[in-house]
Amino acid sequence: MTPKKKAKAITKGSAKKTRPRKRAAGAGRSSSSTDYKASWKAASDSSRSDAARIKDFGKLTNAICDDRAVLNGMIGVLRDVKTSLDVRLAALAALQAASFATIRFRPCRPPYFAALRALATDPEPEMRNRVLGLLMREQDSLAQKLLLDGLKKPDKALVPPEKALQLLSYDVKASAYPIARRIVEQPPSSDAKAEALRLLAADAKSVGIFEQRLLDKKESPEIRQISAAALQALAPEKLQQYARDIVMDTTESPAVQATSLTALAQFGKEEDLSKDEVLSKRVERIQSSDAAQQIKQSAKQFATKYIEK
Amino acid sequence: MDVALRINNSADPRARYVTWAPSRCSIRVTNTTGIIGLNVGVELRNRPSTAGGQVLFSRNATGPWSATLNLSLPRIGTSVPFFVVGRFGRPSLADRDAVIQVRRGTTIVLATPFMVRIRKDANALTPAERDRFIAAFAQLNNQGAGRFVDFRNMHTNAGSPEAHGAPGFLPWHRAYLLDLERELQAIDPSVTLPYWRFDRPAPNLFTLDFVGVANNIGTVQFSANNPFQFWRTDGVPGVNRRPFFNTLTAGANVITEAATLALGTTYDGFQGMEGNPHGNAHTSFGGFISSIGTAARDPLFFLLHCNVDRLWARWQRQNNRFDAAQAAAFDSNLPAGNRIGHNLPDTMWPWNGLTGAQRPPTAPGGSLAMSLSAPAPGPQPRVRDSLDYQGRVTQSARMGFDYDDVRFV
Repeated sequence: MTPKKKAKAITKGSAKKTRPRKRAAGAGRSSSSTDYKASWKAASDSSRSDAARIKDFGKLTNAICDDRAVLNGMIGVLRDVKTSLDVRLAALAALQAASFATIRFRPCRPPYFAALRALATDPEPEMRNRVLGLLMREQDSLAQKLLLDGLKKPDKALVPPEKALQLLSYDVKASAYPIARRIVEQPPSSDAKAEALRLLAADAKSVGIFEQRLLDKKESPEIRQISAAALQALAPEKLQQYARDIVMDTTESPAVQATSLTALAQFGKEEDLSKDEVLSKRVERIQSSDAAQQIKQSAKQFATKYIEK
Repeated sequence: MDVALRINNSADPRARYVTWAPSRCSIRVTNTTGIIGLNVGVELRNRPSTAGGQVLFSRNATGPWSATLNLSLPRIGTSVPFFVVGRFGRPSLADRDAVIQVRRGTTIVLATPFMVRIRKDANALTPAERDRFIAAFAQLNNQGAGRFVDFRNMHTNAGSPEAHGAPGFLPWHRAYLLDLERELQAIDPSVTLPYWRFDRPAPNLFTLDFVGVANNIGTVQFSANNPFQFWRTDGVPGVNRRPFFNTLTAGANVITEAATLALGTTYDGFQGMEGNPHGNAHTSFGGFISSIGTAARDPLFFLLHCNVDRLWARWQRQNNRFDAAQAAAFDSNLPAGNRIGHNLPDTMWPWNGLTGAQRPPTAPGGSLAMSLSAPAPGPQPRVRDSLDYQGRVTQSARMGFDYDDVRFV
């Protein structure tokens, strides 16, 4: 397809609707028709450079809601796998930005989401990433099924396991927990393990998993910090006790100690902590030591709240 | 001799927060020891300092404004009114770092600490300002169990038509930010919402110590001493945000501030900013912030909208669009009018508590938080109440916030 023909094909089928639609009651003022028509003509001209077209897409956010031809044309660019990925992503960004004008975008939602669903299996990994994210943020059941299927059968996965777990956390369902637990036990990567733990942090039955990871000094600081944050929400009293123990333990990781001190400073019980002289002395020692800046900063937060008061 | 000073018409120290807009004050004699005659002359001035908040004084709300003010106080204790404005360019750096000194001759008879509390560029906050903001915000969230849940639930797909795609977009978000800011100030009164100037690089904002840095899949990482590491919304910990621009060297994929301010001299044209830069700023990322229903799960969302509000404030000042009676200050779309919630006399959801019919099924959060330093816009704000935020048209309409680069005087 020649560039000119392709541009024509994109707007085909919507030519009769190129007149700006009448402004809906209560909708914000539409874009200037002369400005946006020139921008749309330029943006849909596939003979121009990608950079120039991308710049023009940025000017069309309002026009998408005002003119069905622009909406359809933009969706056409988005779905056209022969168009460069950068240009397609710019079209996606413009559609997304337009979707923020809820009332004006309302008639555009059905074709927009139909296009997104069709793009969930796009050949471009980056397009799949973004589209599955958009769909999951709308709690789309098709996207959820595709992501779960990919975790169960990695050869069919549309995105890496860590990304799938991250996206599933937009609409946490108990059906995802068994897979997440399996990944924590047998992680394909450290990122996947971290995302599986984040997802399980919504599960009150996973307290034991987080206790185990937090107290295991062989775990990475990141995994232990995620576990601390999860425990602070799921079992705050347990975390507060563990956090104190970790701060008192001079053999502990400074990063995990800093997280523990932050948890105590931010969420601890003032009546208990302000009377805890042993802990206060330990915090003062950290402050005056040559420890890493991060833990000294946490110690300062704690001291400001509970010692210097 | 003793005197008593009231700031924002209140003797309560919690009311001692001023902005660039005039605050009504008064002073009176409370102990006449040493006073000879019917009146005593005093001078009001700032405590000399090279940093921190300072004010200018005037007998009237309209000025003229000066660094000192001489007043004659009746011996019998009658209050003498005067006004102060924050001295532009001299906002406070910490709570009560500003002091009004009342002098009789060379003797300081009263020193009243207060704060010139101003919304600032997030990229230029001091580490202490940044840390206070984060600590208060994390406490408001309280791992998903705090008051923040109401703010998260106000900005969802269900409530979206109250706030997006129609002329009430800017007024609604102004009230929303103010409500959140007042809740933060209930935790730490020195905190204001900072703004993310999204058309410029903000290397001090996108750091582990502030709003975090995304890993390769867009899970945001925080430093171990950053309370945001405990951030939790919708039962899930953390923040997802993947930037599609270099956060250290570039702004987001938006039109410039100058281009935004040139969108039109009437509200009708200016409100096009809801698309670009507003929408484009949101979609310069993947993750929570890039969809309406999840955007409020990311703390950065509030800094983004603070800049949207600041742009409106700048545009209002540039074009003198503060008066709801002025057609160009709002898009009333007459005679048809706008959707409910988007007309000047309409009360705004959820603060009005209205549900069902044309409103969303629930109204989270109750009425808008009150402030001792500025009573406006009241518990159930109308769209029109958001326009005169500095009290230019009606002094009592002042909402108690200002931006570091938007003057009053």
